[in-house]
Amino acid sequence: MLNALDKKLLKAVADLEEIPMGAYNIRKNGKLLGRNISPNIIVDTNKEGTGIVVTVKPGTVNESVHIPVIVSQAGLYDVVYNKFVVGEDSDVTIIAGCGIHCGSSESSGHEGIHEFLVGKGAGVKYVEKHVAMGDGKGTRALNPTTRVFLEDDAHVEMELTQLGGVDEANRINEATLGARSSLLVTERVMTDHRQVAVSKNEIVMAGQDSRANFVSRSVIKGNSRQDFFATIEANAKCFGHIECDAIIMDNGVNETIPALRARHPDAELTHEASIGKIANDQLMKIMSLGLTYDEAVNWIVQGFLK
Amino acid sequence: MLELKDINFAVTDTEESKSTVARTIIDGISFNFERGKFYAVTGPNGSGKTTLAKLIMGINQATSGQILLDGEDITEQSITDRAHGGIAYSFQNPARFKGITFRDLLAIASGTEDERKLVGILTRVGICPLDFLDKPVDGKLSGGEIKKVELATTIARNPKVAIYDEPDTGIDLWTIDPMINLLKKEQEKYNTTTIVVSHNKAFLEAADALLLIKEGKIAYTGDFKGAEPVLKDLAACGFVEIFGGDNNAQCFR
Repeated sequence: MLNALDKKLLKAVADLEEIPMGAYNIRKNGKLLGRNISPNIIVDTNKEGTGIVVTVKPGTVNESVHIPVIVSQAGLYDVVYNKFVVGEDSDVTIIAGCGIHCGSSESSGHEGIHEFLVGKGAGVKYVEKHVAMGDGKGTRALNPTTRVFLEDDAHVEMELTQLGGVDEANRINEATLGARSSLLVTERVMTDHRQVAVSKNEIVMAGQDSRANFVSRSVIKGNSRQDFFATIEANAKCFGHIECDAIIMDNGVNETIPALRARHPDAELTHEASIGKIANDQLMKIMSLGLTYDEAVNWIVQGFLK
Repeated sequence: MLELKDINFAVTDTEESKSTVARTIIDGISFNFERGKFYAVTGPNGSGKTTLAKLIMGINQATSGQILLDGEDITEQSITDRAHGGIAYSFQNPARFKGITFRDLLAIASGTEDERKLVGILTRVGICPLDFLDKPVDGKLSGGEIKKVELATTIARNPKVAIYDEPDTGIDLWTIDPMINLLKKEQEKYNTTTIVVSHNKAFLEAADALLLIKEGKIAYTGDFKGAEPVLKDLAACGFVEIFGGDNNAQCFR
Protein backbone atom coordinates (compact mmCIF):
# COMPACT_ATOMS: atom_id res chain seq x y z
CA MET A 1 0.00 0.00 0.00
CA LEU A 2 2.89 2.31 0.78
CA ASN A 3 5.79 2.44 -1.68
CA ALA A 4 9.37 3.33 -0.68
CA LEU A 5 8.96 7.01 -1.54
CA ASP A 6 5.69 7.25 0.41
CA LYS A 7 7.41 5.72 3.41
CA LYS A 8 10.27 8.16 3.16
CA LEU A 9 7.89 11.11 3.04
CA LEU A 10 5.75 9.75 5.88
CA LYS A 11 8.82 9.23 8.01
CA ALA A 12 9.93 12.81 7.36
CA VAL A 13 6.62 14.51 8.10
CA ALA A 14 5.06 12.32 10.75
CA ASP A 15 7.84 10.08 12.07
CA LEU A 16 5.81 7.16 10.80
CA GLU A 17 7.56 3.99 9.71
CA GLU A 18 4.34 2.17 8.89
CA ILE A 19 0.61 2.75 8.99
CA PRO A 20 -0.02 4.21 12.49
CA MET A 21 -2.11 2.78 15.29
CA GLY A 22 -5.33 4.55 16.26
CA ALA A 23 -7.09 7.13 14.16
CA TYR A 24 -5.49 8.33 10.97
CA ASN A 25 -6.15 9.73 7.55
CA ILE A 26 -3.44 9.54 4.93
CA ARG A 27 -3.87 11.58 1.79
CA LYS A 28 -1.72 10.94 -1.24
CA ASN A 29 -1.76 13.05 -4.40
CA GLY A 30 -5.13 14.56 -3.57
CA LYS A 31 -6.81 11.23 -2.83
CA LEU A 32 -7.50 9.18 0.25
CA LEU A 33 -4.88 6.49 0.77
CA GLY A 34 -6.06 5.12 4.06
CA ARG A 35 -8.26 5.96 7.01
CA ASN A 36 -8.97 4.54 10.40
CA ILE A 37 -11.21 5.72 13.19
CA SER A 38 -11.17 4.91 16.86
CA PRO A 39 -14.14 4.73 19.23
CA ASN A 40 -13.38 8.28 20.36
CA ILE A 41 -11.93 9.91 17.27
CA ILE A 42 -14.04 9.97 14.13
CA VAL A 43 -12.61 10.98 10.76
CA ASP A 44 -15.11 11.86 8.02
CA THR A 45 -14.94 13.43 4.59
CA ASN A 46 -16.59 16.84 4.70
CA LYS A 47 -19.85 17.59 2.88
CA GLU A 48 -18.11 19.39 0.04
CA GLY A 49 -15.65 16.56 -0.41
CA THR A 50 -12.76 18.98 -0.07
CA GLY A 51 -11.25 17.64 3.12
CA ILE A 52 -11.94 15.91 6.39
CA VAL A 53 -13.69 16.56 9.66
CA VAL A 54 -12.01 15.04 12.70
CA THR A 55 -14.30 14.83 15.68
CA VAL A 56 -12.89 14.05 19.10
CA LYS A 57 -15.51 12.97 21.60
CA PRO A 58 -15.64 14.92 24.87
CA GLY A 59 -13.42 13.47 27.59
CA THR A 60 -11.08 11.62 25.18
CA VAL A 61 -7.64 11.60 26.73
CA ASN A 62 -4.21 10.37 25.68
CA GLU A 63 -5.21 9.63 22.11
CA SER A 64 -3.69 10.80 18.91
CA VAL A 65 -4.66 11.20 15.29
CA HIS A 66 -2.30 11.27 12.33
CA ILE A 67 -3.31 13.15 9.19
CA PRO A 68 -0.28 13.30 6.91
CA VAL A 69 -0.39 14.35 3.28
CA ILE A 70 2.02 13.24 0.62
CA VAL A 71 2.41 14.73 -2.81
CA SER A 72 4.63 12.93 -5.28
CA GLN A 73 2.67 13.54 -8.50
CA ALA A 74 4.25 16.15 -10.73
CA GLY A 75 2.19 19.23 -11.47
CA LEU A 76 -0.35 18.63 -8.70
CA TYR A 77 -1.48 21.47 -6.47
CA ASP A 78 -3.55 19.88 -3.74
CA VAL A 79 -5.89 22.05 -1.67
CA VAL A 80 -7.56 20.59 1.40
CA TYR A 81 -9.93 21.97 4.03
CA ASN A 82 -9.76 20.12 7.32
CA LYS A 83 -11.76 20.76 10.44
CA PHE A 84 -11.05 19.49 13.94
CA VAL A 85 -13.75 19.53 16.55
CA VAL A 86 -12.23 18.70 19.91
CA GLY A 87 -14.77 17.91 22.62
CA GLU A 88 -14.74 19.32 26.13
CA ASP A 89 -12.14 18.09 28.60
CA SER A 90 -10.37 15.93 26.09
CA ASP A 91 -6.62 15.85 25.66
CA VAL A 92 -5.29 14.74 22.27
CA THR A 93 -2.31 14.98 19.96
CA ILE A 94 -2.83 15.76 16.28
CA ILE A 95 0.04 15.03 13.95
CA ALA A 96 -0.24 16.66 10.57
CA GLY A 97 2.30 17.54 7.96
CA CYS A 98 2.98 17.43 4.31
CA GLY A 99 5.79 15.90 2.34
CA ILE A 100 6.32 16.81 -1.29
CA HIS A 101 8.56 14.91 -3.60
CA CYS A 102 9.28 16.73 -6.80
CA GLY A 103 11.10 14.70 -9.38
CA SER A 104 10.37 16.69 -12.53
CA SER A 105 10.32 20.24 -13.84
CA GLU A 106 6.62 20.56 -13.10
CA SER A 107 5.67 22.33 -9.91
CA SER A 108 3.80 20.69 -7.07
CA GLY A 109 2.20 22.09 -4.00
CA HIS A 110 -0.14 21.64 -1.09
CA GLU A 111 -2.39 24.06 0.68
CA GLY A 112 -3.80 22.78 3.95
CA ILE A 113 -6.42 24.93 5.58
CA HIS A 114 -6.97 23.68 9.11
CA GLU A 115 -9.62 24.93 11.47
CA PHE A 116 -9.65 23.89 15.12
CA LEU A 117 -12.57 24.26 17.47
CA VAL A 118 -11.21 23.38 20.88
CA GLY A 119 -13.90 22.84 23.49
CA LYS A 120 -13.98 23.98 27.10
CA GLY A 121 -11.12 22.65 29.17
CA ALA A 122 -9.72 20.63 26.28
CA GLY A 123 -6.04 20.28 25.48
CA VAL A 124 -4.56 19.84 22.02
CA LYS A 125 -1.03 19.31 20.93
CA TYR A 126 -0.73 19.95 17.22
CA VAL A 127 2.46 18.98 15.39
CA GLU A 128 2.85 20.03 11.78
CA LYS A 129 5.97 19.31 9.76
CA HIS A 130 6.56 20.39 6.21
CA VAL A 131 9.24 18.80 4.11
CA ALA A 132 10.02 18.87 0.41
CA MET A 133 12.53 16.72 -1.38
CA GLY A 134 13.47 15.38 -4.78
CA ASP A 135 15.84 16.72 -7.37
CA GLY A 136 13.30 17.98 -9.89
CA LYS A 137 13.45 21.58 -11.04
CA GLY A 138 9.78 22.29 -10.37
CA THR A 139 8.72 24.60 -7.57
CA ARG A 140 7.62 23.02 -4.32
CA ALA A 141 5.02 25.16 -2.59
CA LEU A 142 3.47 24.61 0.84
CA ASN A 143 0.92 27.09 2.06
CA PRO A 144 -0.57 26.08 5.40
CA THR A 145 -3.29 28.00 7.18
CA THR A 146 -4.32 27.23 10.73
CA ARG A 147 -7.26 28.86 12.45
CA VAL A 148 -7.72 28.01 16.09
CA PHE A 149 -10.62 28.86 18.34
CA LEU A 150 -10.03 28.14 22.01
CA GLU A 151 -13.04 28.03 24.28
CA ASP A 152 -12.73 28.85 27.97
CA ASP A 153 -9.94 26.96 29.81
CA ALA A 154 -8.71 25.26 26.64
CA HIS A 155 -5.02 24.75 26.03
CA VAL A 156 -3.35 24.42 22.65
CA GLU A 157 0.28 23.80 21.90
CA MET A 158 1.37 24.04 18.28
CA GLU A 159 4.68 23.01 16.81
CA LEU A 160 5.00 24.14 13.24
CA THR A 161 8.12 23.32 11.30
CA GLN A 162 9.43 23.70 7.80
CA LEU A 163 13.00 22.54 7.69
CA GLY A 164 14.11 22.80 4.13
CA GLY A 165 13.34 21.99 0.53
CA VAL A 166 10.24 24.18 0.30
CA ASP A 167 10.59 26.83 -2.41
CA GLU A 168 7.57 28.91 -1.58
CA ALA A 169 5.60 29.08 1.63
CA ASN A 170 2.80 31.36 2.67
CA ARG A 171 2.06 30.46 6.24
CA ILE A 172 -0.95 31.86 8.04
CA ASN A 173 -1.79 31.25 11.68
CA GLU A 174 -4.78 32.76 13.40
CA ALA A 175 -6.05 32.15 16.90
CA THR A 176 -8.82 33.45 19.11
CA LEU A 177 -8.55 32.74 22.83
CA GLY A 178 -11.41 32.38 25.29
CA ALA A 179 -11.24 33.07 29.03
CA ARG A 180 -8.35 31.41 30.90
CA SER A 181 -7.31 29.56 27.77
CA SER A 182 -3.69 29.34 26.73
CA LEU A 183 -1.83 29.01 23.48
CA LEU A 184 1.80 28.19 22.86
CA VAL A 185 3.01 28.33 19.27
CA THR A 186 6.53 27.42 18.22
CA GLU A 187 7.31 27.97 14.58
CA ARG A 188 10.64 26.93 13.08
CA VAL A 189 11.46 27.71 9.50
CA MET A 190 14.69 27.16 7.62
CA THR A 191 15.16 28.38 4.07
CA ASP A 192 18.07 28.06 1.68
CA HIS A 193 18.96 28.74 -1.98
CA ARG A 194 16.29 31.06 -3.46
CA GLN A 195 13.45 29.89 -1.23
CA VAL A 196 10.90 32.35 0.08
CA ALA A 197 8.77 31.96 3.20
CA VAL A 198 6.23 34.36 4.60
CA SER A 199 4.62 33.78 7.96
CA LYS A 200 1.62 35.87 9.02
CA ASN A 201 0.26 35.41 12.51
CA GLU A 202 -2.71 37.01 14.19
CA ILE A 203 -3.63 36.15 17.75
CA VAL A 204 -6.69 37.66 19.38
CA MET A 205 -6.93 37.50 23.15
CA ALA A 206 -10.71 37.68 23.56
CA GLY A 207 -11.20 36.17 27.01
CA GLN A 208 -10.14 37.33 30.43
CA ASP A 209 -6.91 35.82 31.81
CA SER A 210 -6.00 34.19 28.53
CA ARG A 211 -2.31 33.61 27.84
CA ALA A 212 -0.40 33.34 24.58
CA ASN A 213 3.23 32.79 23.78
CA PHE A 214 4.41 32.84 20.20
CA VAL A 215 7.97 31.70 19.56
CA SER A 216 9.46 31.93 16.09
CA ARG A 217 12.90 30.71 15.09
CA SER A 218 14.13 31.34 11.58
CA VAL A 219 17.31 30.35 9.82
CA ILE A 220 17.85 32.04 6.48
CA LYS A 221 20.64 30.56 4.37
CA GLY A 222 21.89 31.09 0.81
CA ASN A 223 19.92 33.74 -1.09
CA SER A 224 16.65 32.90 0.62
CA ARG A 225 14.17 35.26 2.20
CA GLN A 226 11.83 35.05 5.16
CA ASP A 227 9.31 37.57 6.34
CA PHE A 228 7.64 37.22 9.68
CA PHE A 229 4.64 39.16 10.89
CA ALA A 230 2.94 38.55 14.22
CA THR A 231 0.26 40.54 15.95
CA ILE A 232 -1.28 39.95 19.34
CA GLU A 233 -4.46 41.84 19.94
CA ALA A 234 -5.73 42.04 23.51
CA ASN A 235 -9.38 42.67 24.15
CA ALA A 236 -9.36 41.57 27.78
CA LYS A 237 -7.06 41.28 30.78
CA CYS A 238 -4.48 38.86 29.44
CA PHE A 239 -0.83 38.06 28.93
CA GLY A 240 0.75 37.78 25.52
CA HIS A 241 4.33 37.45 24.36
CA ILE A 242 6.01 37.22 20.95
CA GLU A 243 9.59 36.05 20.68
CA CYS A 244 11.06 36.01 17.21
CA ASP A 245 14.69 35.32 16.45
CA ALA A 246 16.31 35.00 13.07
CA ILE A 247 19.78 33.77 12.21
CA ILE A 248 21.03 35.06 8.89
CA MET A 249 23.68 33.14 7.01
CA ASP A 250 25.24 33.84 3.62
CA ASN A 251 23.06 36.41 1.80
CA GLY A 252 19.75 35.67 3.52
CA VAL A 253 17.22 38.46 3.87
CA ASN A 254 14.77 38.80 6.72
CA GLU A 255 12.03 41.14 7.77
CA THR A 256 10.54 40.64 11.22
CA ILE A 257 7.60 42.69 12.40
CA PRO A 258 6.06 41.85 15.77
CA ALA A 259 3.10 44.01 16.70
CA LEU A 260 1.14 44.42 19.91
CA ARG A 261 -2.33 45.86 20.04
CA ALA A 262 -3.87 46.49 23.46
CA ARG A 263 -7.55 47.31 23.62
CA HIS A 264 -7.90 46.67 27.32
CA PRO A 265 -6.20 48.54 30.19
CA ASP A 266 -5.14 45.30 31.92
CA ALA A 267 -3.53 43.78 28.86
CA GLU A 268 0.09 42.79 29.35
CA LEU A 269 1.83 42.34 26.04
CA THR A 270 5.54 42.01 25.33
CA HIS A 271 7.73 41.11 22.42
CA GLU A 272 11.38 40.51 21.73
CA ALA A 273 12.91 40.23 18.30
CA SER A 274 16.39 39.72 17.02
CA ILE A 275 18.00 39.28 13.63
CA GLY A 276 21.68 38.58 13.19
CA LYS A 277 24.48 36.26 12.32
CA ILE A 278 25.58 33.57 14.74
CA ALA A 279 27.31 35.44 17.53
CA ASN A 280 31.08 35.21 17.57
CA ASP A 281 31.24 34.36 21.28
CA GLN A 282 28.98 31.34 20.64
CA LEU A 283 31.27 30.09 17.87
CA MET A 284 34.40 30.60 20.00
CA LYS A 285 32.86 28.69 22.89
CA ILE A 286 31.83 25.71 20.75
CA MET A 287 35.17 25.63 18.93
CA SER A 288 36.94 25.67 22.29
CA LEU A 289 35.02 22.45 23.02
CA GLY A 290 36.68 20.82 20.01
CA LEU A 291 34.29 21.43 17.09
CA THR A 292 35.54 22.99 13.85
CA TYR A 293 34.06 26.28 12.63
CA ASP A 294 31.62 24.54 10.26
CA GLU A 295 30.64 21.95 12.86
CA ALA A 296 30.06 24.72 15.39
CA VAL A 297 27.82 26.66 12.98
CA ASN A 298 25.83 23.52 12.25
CA TRP A 299 25.56 22.58 15.91
CA ILE A 300 24.33 26.05 16.94
CA VAL A 301 21.74 26.11 14.11
CA GLN A 302 20.49 22.61 14.96
CA GLY A 303 20.06 23.64 18.59
CA PHE A 304 18.32 26.87 17.62
CA LEU A 305 15.79 24.94 15.53
CA LYS A 306 15.40 22.02 17.92
CA MET B 1 55.11 22.47 29.36
CA LEU B 2 53.28 25.47 27.92
CA GLU B 3 55.88 27.86 26.72
CA LEU B 4 55.37 31.42 25.51
CA LYS B 5 58.32 32.81 23.55
CA ASP B 6 58.44 36.55 22.99
CA ILE B 7 54.72 36.84 22.36
CA ASN B 8 53.47 40.09 20.89
CA PHE B 9 49.95 41.11 20.08
CA ALA B 10 48.96 44.40 18.49
CA VAL B 11 45.72 45.75 17.09
CA THR B 12 45.27 48.54 14.61
CA ASP B 13 43.06 51.41 15.70
CA THR B 14 41.51 53.77 13.24
CA GLU B 15 41.68 57.26 14.66
CA GLU B 16 39.38 60.17 13.86
CA SER B 17 41.87 61.40 11.30
CA LYS B 18 41.35 57.98 9.57
CA SER B 19 44.99 57.12 10.02
CA THR B 20 45.65 53.69 11.46
CA VAL B 21 47.76 53.33 14.56
CA ALA B 22 49.12 50.03 15.84
CA ARG B 23 48.42 49.59 19.53
CA THR B 24 50.47 47.00 21.40
CA ILE B 25 48.45 44.94 23.86
CA ILE B 26 51.00 42.21 24.65
CA ASP B 27 54.58 43.31 24.53
CA GLY B 28 57.18 40.56 24.31
CA ILE B 29 55.95 38.12 26.94
CA SER B 30 58.02 34.97 27.52
CA PHE B 31 57.03 32.48 30.18
CA ASN B 32 57.05 28.76 30.82
CA PHE B 33 54.02 27.28 32.56
CA GLU B 34 55.01 24.06 34.28
CA ARG B 35 52.85 20.93 34.24
CA GLY B 36 50.42 20.59 37.08
CA LYS B 37 50.99 24.00 38.60
CA PHE B 38 48.42 26.61 39.54
CA TYR B 39 49.05 30.08 38.13
CA ALA B 40 47.20 33.28 38.83
CA VAL B 41 47.44 36.04 36.24
CA THR B 42 46.63 39.46 37.62
CA GLY B 43 47.19 43.11 36.88
CA PRO B 44 45.31 46.37 36.40
CA ASN B 45 42.30 46.64 34.09
CA GLY B 46 43.38 46.82 30.47
CA SER B 47 46.84 45.42 31.21
CA GLY B 48 46.40 42.52 28.76
CA LYS B 49 45.50 39.59 31.06
CA THR B 50 42.50 38.36 29.10
CA THR B 51 44.31 38.96 25.80
CA LEU B 52 47.18 36.78 26.99
CA ALA B 53 44.75 34.02 27.99
CA LYS B 54 42.99 34.25 24.61
CA LEU B 55 46.34 34.03 22.81
CA ILE B 56 47.00 30.70 24.53
CA MET B 57 43.58 29.33 23.46
CA GLY B 58 43.98 30.69 19.92
CA ILE B 59 41.00 33.04 20.17
CA ASN B 60 43.48 35.80 19.41
CA GLN B 61 46.37 34.97 17.10
CA ALA B 62 49.75 36.34 18.20
CA THR B 63 51.26 39.03 15.98
CA SER B 64 54.67 37.49 16.56
CA GLY B 65 56.32 34.99 18.86
CA GLN B 66 55.85 31.31 19.49
CA ILE B 67 53.65 29.14 21.68
CA LEU B 68 54.78 25.59 22.45
CA LEU B 69 52.68 22.91 24.12
CA ASP B 70 54.73 19.92 25.27
CA GLY B 71 57.40 21.01 22.80
CA GLU B 72 54.99 21.20 19.85
CA ASP B 73 54.63 24.56 18.12
CA ILE B 74 50.94 25.46 18.31
CA THR B 75 51.32 29.12 17.31
CA GLU B 76 49.49 28.65 14.00
CA GLN B 77 46.91 26.20 15.32
CA SER B 78 43.17 26.98 15.36
CA ILE B 79 41.06 27.04 18.52
CA THR B 80 39.71 23.61 17.55
CA ASP B 81 43.18 22.08 17.21
CA ARG B 82 44.31 23.54 20.51
CA ALA B 83 41.15 22.19 22.15
CA HIS B 84 42.05 18.73 20.83
CA GLY B 85 45.60 19.31 22.03
CA GLY B 86 44.33 19.65 25.59
CA ILE B 87 43.71 23.34 26.20
CA ALA B 88 40.36 24.37 27.66
CA TYR B 89 39.03 27.85 28.27
CA SER B 90 36.45 29.34 30.62
CA PHE B 91 35.19 32.63 29.27
CA GLN B 92 34.77 35.68 31.48
CA ASN B 93 31.45 36.52 29.79
CA PRO B 94 30.18 33.12 28.67
CA ALA B 95 28.11 32.86 25.50
CA ARG B 96 24.39 32.30 25.85
CA PHE B 97 22.40 30.31 23.31
CA LYS B 98 18.82 29.83 22.21
CA GLY B 99 17.57 26.26 22.20
CA ILE B 100 20.72 24.78 23.76
CA THR B 101 20.66 23.15 27.17
CA PHE B 102 23.45 22.57 29.66
CA ARG B 103 23.22 18.88 28.73
CA ASP B 104 23.93 19.67 25.06
CA LEU B 105 27.03 21.68 25.95
CA LEU B 106 28.27 19.14 28.45
CA ALA B 107 27.78 16.34 25.92
CA ILE B 108 30.07 17.95 23.33
CA ALA B 109 32.52 19.08 26.02
CA SER B 110 32.85 15.53 27.39
CA GLY B 111 32.25 13.67 24.12
CA THR B 112 29.51 11.50 25.59
CA GLU B 113 25.74 11.60 25.97
CA ASP B 114 25.78 8.84 28.57
CA GLU B 115 23.55 10.02 31.40
CA ARG B 116 25.68 8.37 34.09
CA LYS B 117 28.84 9.99 32.82
CA LEU B 118 27.19 13.42 32.62
CA VAL B 119 25.88 13.06 36.15
CA GLY B 120 29.41 12.00 37.13
CA ILE B 121 30.72 15.32 35.82
CA LEU B 122 28.08 17.22 37.78
CA THR B 123 29.16 15.42 40.92
CA ARG B 124 32.80 16.14 40.16
CA VAL B 125 32.06 19.84 39.69
CA GLY B 126 29.68 19.96 42.64
CA ILE B 127 26.50 20.96 40.83
CA CYS B 128 23.76 19.41 42.91
CA PRO B 129 20.32 19.49 41.33
CA LEU B 130 20.23 17.10 38.39
CA ASP B 131 17.45 19.06 36.71
CA PHE B 132 20.10 21.69 36.08
CA LEU B 133 21.19 19.48 33.16
CA ASP B 134 18.11 20.37 31.16
CA LYS B 135 18.24 24.07 31.81
CA PRO B 136 18.55 26.18 28.67
CA VAL B 137 21.85 28.07 28.52
CA ASP B 138 20.09 31.29 27.55
CA GLY B 139 19.62 34.79 28.86
CA LYS B 140 17.52 33.52 31.77
CA LEU B 141 20.46 31.91 33.59
CA SER B 142 21.85 34.07 36.38
CA GLY B 143 25.44 35.30 36.29
CA GLY B 144 26.46 32.68 38.82
CA GLU B 145 24.68 29.84 37.04
CA ILE B 146 26.28 30.56 33.67
CA LYS B 147 29.72 30.63 35.31
CA LYS B 148 29.04 27.18 36.76
CA VAL B 149 28.09 25.95 33.29
CA GLU B 150 31.35 27.41 32.00
CA LEU B 151 33.38 25.80 34.77
CA ALA B 152 31.73 22.41 34.22
CA THR B 153 32.27 22.43 30.44
CA THR B 154 35.94 23.31 30.98
CA ILE B 155 36.50 20.54 33.53
CA ALA B 156 34.54 18.06 31.38
CA ARG B 157 37.27 18.41 28.72
CA ASN B 158 39.79 16.79 31.09
CA PRO B 159 42.29 19.38 29.91
CA LYS B 160 46.06 19.42 30.22
CA VAL B 161 45.85 23.19 30.47
CA ALA B 162 42.76 24.80 31.97
CA ILE B 163 42.37 28.55 31.60
CA TYR B 164 39.78 30.36 33.70
CA ASP B 165 39.16 34.01 32.91
CA GLU B 166 37.79 35.67 36.05
CA PRO B 167 35.83 32.61 37.18
CA ASP B 168 34.49 34.45 40.21
CA THR B 169 32.52 37.09 38.26
CA GLY B 170 28.88 36.84 39.34
CA ILE B 171 29.67 34.12 41.88
CA ASP B 172 28.52 34.78 45.44
CA LEU B 173 31.22 35.26 48.04
CA TRP B 174 30.60 31.96 49.84
CA THR B 175 31.01 30.00 46.59
CA ILE B 176 34.53 31.28 45.90
CA ASP B 177 36.30 29.04 48.42
CA PRO B 178 34.58 25.88 47.18
CA MET B 179 35.48 26.94 43.64
CA ILE B 180 39.14 27.33 44.56
CA ASN B 181 39.03 23.94 46.28
CA LEU B 182 37.57 22.41 43.14
CA LEU B 183 40.26 23.88 40.88
CA LYS B 184 42.96 22.76 43.33
CA LYS B 185 41.49 19.26 43.49
CA GLU B 186 41.41 19.07 39.67
CA GLN B 187 44.97 20.36 39.53
CA GLU B 188 46.23 17.76 41.98
CA LYS B 189 44.20 14.77 40.84
CA TYR B 190 44.64 15.22 37.08
CA ASN B 191 47.90 17.17 37.11
CA THR B 192 46.11 20.00 35.28
CA THR B 193 48.12 23.08 34.53
CA THR B 194 45.72 25.69 35.83
CA ILE B 195 45.80 29.34 34.78
CA VAL B 196 43.35 31.68 36.48
CA VAL B 197 42.96 35.31 35.45
CA SER B 198 41.70 37.10 38.52
CA HIS B 199 41.73 40.19 40.71
CA ASN B 200 40.51 38.17 43.65
CA LYS B 201 42.99 37.86 46.52
CA ALA B 202 41.69 34.38 47.32
CA PHE B 203 42.81 33.08 43.90
CA LEU B 204 46.14 34.94 44.10
CA GLU B 205 46.84 33.34 47.47
CA ALA B 206 45.83 29.89 46.28
CA ALA B 207 48.19 29.96 43.29
CA ASP B 208 51.62 28.31 43.22
CA ALA B 209 52.88 31.24 41.22
CA LEU B 210 51.61 34.61 40.24
CA LEU B 211 52.08 36.55 37.01
CA LEU B 212 51.54 40.24 37.26
CA ILE B 213 50.88 41.87 33.90
CA LYS B 214 51.23 45.59 33.48
CA GLU B 215 51.02 47.41 30.15
CA GLY B 216 51.35 44.14 28.25
CA LYS B 217 54.53 43.05 30.00
CA ILE B 218 55.25 40.73 32.91
CA ALA B 219 55.88 43.08 35.83
CA TYR B 220 56.40 40.31 38.40
CA THR B 221 56.47 36.54 38.68
CA GLY B 222 56.72 34.64 41.92
CA ASP B 223 54.65 33.94 45.00
CA PHE B 224 51.90 36.08 46.44
CA LYS B 225 54.04 37.35 49.34
CA GLY B 226 56.63 38.82 47.03
CA ALA B 227 53.91 40.36 44.89
CA GLU B 228 52.23 42.22 47.72
CA PRO B 229 54.41 45.36 47.60
CA VAL B 230 54.01 45.54 43.80
CA LEU B 231 50.26 45.07 44.08
CA LYS B 232 50.05 47.79 46.75
CA ASP B 233 51.97 50.05 44.43
CA LEU B 234 49.52 49.32 41.63
CA ALA B 235 46.60 50.01 43.92
CA ALA B 236 47.83 53.57 44.46
CA CYS B 237 45.83 56.15 42.60
CA GLY B 238 46.73 56.14 38.93
CA PHE B 239 44.24 58.87 38.11
CA VAL B 240 46.80 61.62 37.47
CA GLU B 241 49.04 59.34 35.46
CA ILE B 242 46.25 57.90 33.36
CA PHE B 243 43.84 60.75 32.94
CA GLY B 244 46.11 63.74 33.51
CA GLY B 245 43.95 65.12 36.34
CA ASP B 246 45.00 67.68 38.91
CA ASN B 247 47.87 66.82 41.21
CA ASN B 248 46.06 68.01 44.27
CA ALA B 249 42.88 66.04 43.66
CA GLN B 250 43.51 64.49 47.10
CA CYS B 251 43.05 60.94 46.07
CA PHE B 252 44.47 58.79 48.86
CA ARG B 253 43.03 55.46 47.85
